[in-house]
Amino acid sequence: MKTSKHSYLLLIFASSLFYSCEDVIDPTLQSADPVVVVDAWINNLPGAQTITLTWTQPYFESQIPPAITGATVSVSDDQGKNFLFIENVTKPGHYEWSPSGADTLRVGGKYWLTVITDSDTFQAQSYMGRVPAIDSITYEEDENIATGDPIVRAEFWATDPVGTGDAYWIRSFKNGVPLLKPGEINIAFDAGVSIGGPTDGVMFVAPVRRRINAVDRDEDDQLLSPIENGDSMHVQIHSLTVAAFTYLNEVSIQTNRPGGFAELFATPLANVSTNILNLNTNGRKAVGFFNVSAVSAAGKRYVE
Amino acid sequence: MSHFRLFVLVFFVIGLTCPAWAQEKFTINGTIKDNSNGEALIGVTVYVREISNGTTTNEYGFYSITLPKGTYTVDYSYVGFQTVSRTVVLDKNVQQPIELVPEASQLQEVVVKGEIEQANVENLEMSTNKLEIKTILRTPMLFGEADLLRSLQLLPGVSTVGEGASGFNVRGGNVGQNLILLDEAPVYNSSHLFGFFSVFNPDAVKDTKLYKGAIPSRYGGRLASILDVRMKEGNSKKFEVTGGIGTVFSRLAVEGPIVKDKASFIIAARRSYIDVLARPFVPILENGGALNFYDLTLKTNYDINRRNKIYLSGYFGRDVFRFDKTQGFNWGNATATLRWNHLFNERLFLNVTGVYADYDYALQFGKDERDRFSWNSSITSYIFRPQFTYFIDSRNELTFGADATYYSFIPANAEGVTNGDVVEISLGRKYNLETSVYAGNAQKISEKLSIEYGLRYSYFQYLGPGTEYIYGDTIPGLRKPVIGSKTYGSGEVIAQYGNFEPRFSFRVQAGQRASIKGSYNRMAQYLHLISNTTASNPLDVWNPTSNNIKPQLADQFTLGYFRDLTEDKKYEFSAEAYYRTTQNQIDYIDGADLLINQYLEGDLLSGIGRAYGLELYVQKKTGRLNGWVSYTLGRSELKVDGINGGQWYETRFNQLHNLKLAAFYDLTSRWQVSANFIFTSGTPTTFPTSRFTQQGILIPYNAFESRNNVHMPDYHRLDISFRLEGKKVKKNGKERKNSDYWVFSLYNVYARRNPFSIYFSQTDQRTPAGQAITSQATQLSIIGTIVPSVSYNFKF
Repeated sequence: MKTSKHSYLLLIFASSLFYSCEDVIDPTLQSADPVVVVDAWINNLPGAQTITLTWTQPYFESQIPPAITGATVSVSDDQGKNFLFIENVTKPGHYEWSPSGADTLRVGGKYWLTVITDSDTFQAQSYMGRVPAIDSITYEEDENIATGDPIVRAEFWATDPVGTGDAYWIRSFKNGVPLLKPGEINIAFDAGVSIGGPTDGVMFVAPVRRRINAVDRDEDDQLLSPIENGDSMHVQIHSLTVAAFTYLNEVSIQTNRPGGFAELFATPLANVSTNILNLNTNGRKAVGFFNVSAVSAAGKRYVE
Repeated sequence: MSHFRLFVLVFFVIGLTCPAWAQEKFTINGTIKDNSNGEALIGVTVYVREISNGTTTNEYGFYSITLPKGTYTVDYSYVGFQTVSRTVVLDKNVQQPIELVPEASQLQEVVVKGEIEQANVENLEMSTNKLEIKTILRTPMLFGEADLLRSLQLLPGVSTVGEGASGFNVRGGNVGQNLILLDEAPVYNSSHLFGFFSVFNPDAVKDTKLYKGAIPSRYGGRLASILDVRMKEGNSKKFEVTGGIGTVFSRLAVEGPIVKDKASFIIAARRSYIDVLARPFVPILENGGALNFYDLTLKTNYDINRRNKIYLSGYFGRDVFRFDKTQGFNWGNATATLRWNHLFNERLFLNVTGVYADYDYALQFGKDERDRFSWNSSITSYIFRPQFTYFIDSRNELTFGADATYYSFIPANAEGVTNGDVVEISLGRKYNLETSVYAGNAQKISEKLSIEYGLRYSYFQYLGPGTEYIYGDTIPGLRKPVIGSKTYGSGEVIAQYGNFEPRFSFRVQAGQRASIKGSYNRMAQYLHLISNTTASNPLDVWNPTSNNIKPQLADQFTLGYFRDLTEDKKYEFSAEAYYRTTQNQIDYIDGADLLINQYLEGDLLSGIGRAYGLELYVQKKTGRLNGWVSYTLGRSELKVDGINGGQWYETRFNQLHNLKLAAFYDLTSRWQVSANFIFTSGTPTTFPTSRFTQQGILIPYNAFESRNNVHMPDYHRLDISFRLEGKKVKKNGKERKNSDYWVFSLYNVYARRNPFSIYFSQTDQRTPAGQAITSQATQLSIIGTIVPSVSYNFKF
């Protein structure tokens, strides 16, 4: 939802004026059989590409998910090439492949993922969309809207190419650590934030450019300055298929729950989609997604 | 238009079956007013002893009764007023305007009026509740502020999903299925501050009536209920100022005569000031932030002569939320109603109403001109509504008329500026015309049997200029692809629908003190509130029926038993069962994009619904201790292809048990105490079964793909308020001209943390790569503590 990121700001402030409270609770949940999870987000960056296979686990089981070992994982393309992902012996459930020579992933290429487990064969398809270069990363001094304290924020600058239908996941790293909190998911459709209202062929809109920042809070639940002197930001733009954009939008809706008054704007819990299909339609289901990205990147250190 | 012709035919058949005119008959009529302030009184019983029958005054205080030549004794009675009896020699038409004098002890009369003299038992109406403003003023409320919609929630069949939810639910219908009328103008969003307060200023409200079933043919357009709020006309005898200073806002109303007994006005205003008070402590407010609402209610009327009267009323209200000087959002309603009452002859009463009603919201983000985003959305309607009442004789009252509403929608008028480049992302406007004709007759067949029957034909057109989108089929639950579109010119019809809406109800007297009533009604709804959030909120958009969205239809059956428990009619009991089926109900695909989406209709799903229940109600109407107990056992479900595996699922606002208790007690002549207690079953929600990760993000998963598969903990709450009347006499023994009172209230007395929602998320800390992410469930209570408040109210 377009407004969510704005409304939660408002709502944090509104809630301080009311009488709301939150309690962590421990409800009993229905138990369910595990389902195959395919985590297949590969890209054209140099080095090993990894696809992981795991099982779903009970919601409150806060442990490393159980790995699916011994599967056959491969990706083929529209030029008849086939890339076999080999299970890493030290990391169960991690299947890896490294590009070499002519065996690379190309912008514009179509790709098919095949996963064969002991009883099922799953398939998914994707294509590699184009990605614009990042012009620059800048830092801006501002103040915390709630406390008035000075803060420093990073912003990246890039322009969406003309032509609708481009989609991106902007992934950022602060001092080498990937920023992957649900509230930090930063996706763009063309230069805007949603499919519904086309914003094409211009500089990414301000909410996208600025959403690369870390969202961390102190003990009083106040937002910390995203950047301190000496911090460095690294930003990658990953191209997405339209389906992958929709998927990540759903992931953002389902996982980004800042609580408080933002709950008034929250939608009911629902399963996110998947593009992993069992060739046997009566067979076991799988969840997860397969997407092949082209990547552009830039980085910069903040020095006062 | 064969539908229309059939309707005209039916119309005439009803007309022809009306009793003959042969016998020499004369009419008594007039307007009944409150002697203290000149306000017309709605629903006054006019009882003719000789025929053991009578009528009641209409929304304008007018009554008319036609009888054979003779001498009659007529009693005029109304709760809280002294009964007046008049002997009338009826050898010609007689005009009999009456001014009723309030009873001295009127403060003790706290009633939700089931028409005390003409009690529920004797009335043809069922499934309706009248809410007296006096009751509203004495009900303990959040922040001590009397509120119409929150008082309404104490009645049987009315519920809400909790604090923070805009609107209310009636008999398992959603918030958008209630038609809320303020002096006949539709109010598209009835809430201030996310539902904590309603848009109705109690200082300016005269009468409130909620129709939950047995809806007369003159009303239409929504499936679940009609809430008809009528404003005061203003004191036509003397100037009066009422007001109050409370914890959250202050109110002031001025009313008085313009020409004594001929013309009067009322102007009432409210403004919240929580942000002003908090400004020194909250930096965001110091920097231009705001959090407030205000509203203004106006009305004036002019009695041209006995046959003609005009009324002009208006409302303007706004909620404002700003993070700083330039960023934030605001929303509000504006309405204007012009009415003309005309008496053609002694028996034919006409009211013509013209209405302008608008709801809009606007958002603006971005601190500078190079990067900003602004967006507004609105629904504007223009209504023309002539309505005739023909008081045929003492047994028949025929109402007929027509409605025409022209809608203009701005789904989104949005502009983004990124790095100085302007991007237009507005959606095309939508135009619609909704027309209806109706006729209904209330007929007393015998002393034991009364019936009311009517028919409404509604017709809806989606007009150009506009674009029709055609969507392809897909697996239910997924976004439908656009496979074509067609552009229409101005005035061309893009889509149209017509519906007959029959209405029928009956009352059978069962012994001296009891009656049985039943009804059937069909309702059609052409506007749809698009909302997939936990609770309705101000950004929800109304969307008209189109080639893709079909009109919603409902069929409701009710059956009720009404009984006076004691001879003196102090105690009244009612039991009502209802069953309603609905068609073309809207739900949403997972991940639906509802805001600024040209292809919104591709994200909507359609299904059927059913709601049924039993409402029990006991009321003690008079005495030092009075009040009521209301219990509703209900169920509300939907069945939509693509949700919950295509199986029935409970709606978000389904409540199995809903118990409400309201009590009012006079401690002394100056101290009064009021209490209410509410218990409702926890509303349904969806819990996950499992979890998985994608690229380091934890995602909840429900392996059964079910919707609303569990219930939240039960909701219960006790509120108490004390009211201290100011002294009636001065120290020197003289009577005070002014009156005032204090209200001290405690909301949520035992500080229960009632759940608004339970949500599932990963914990906020950053999880290092290769480590397990921690998941948790959080229960949010919007009001999690006791909320004390005090307010001072005055009148002079």
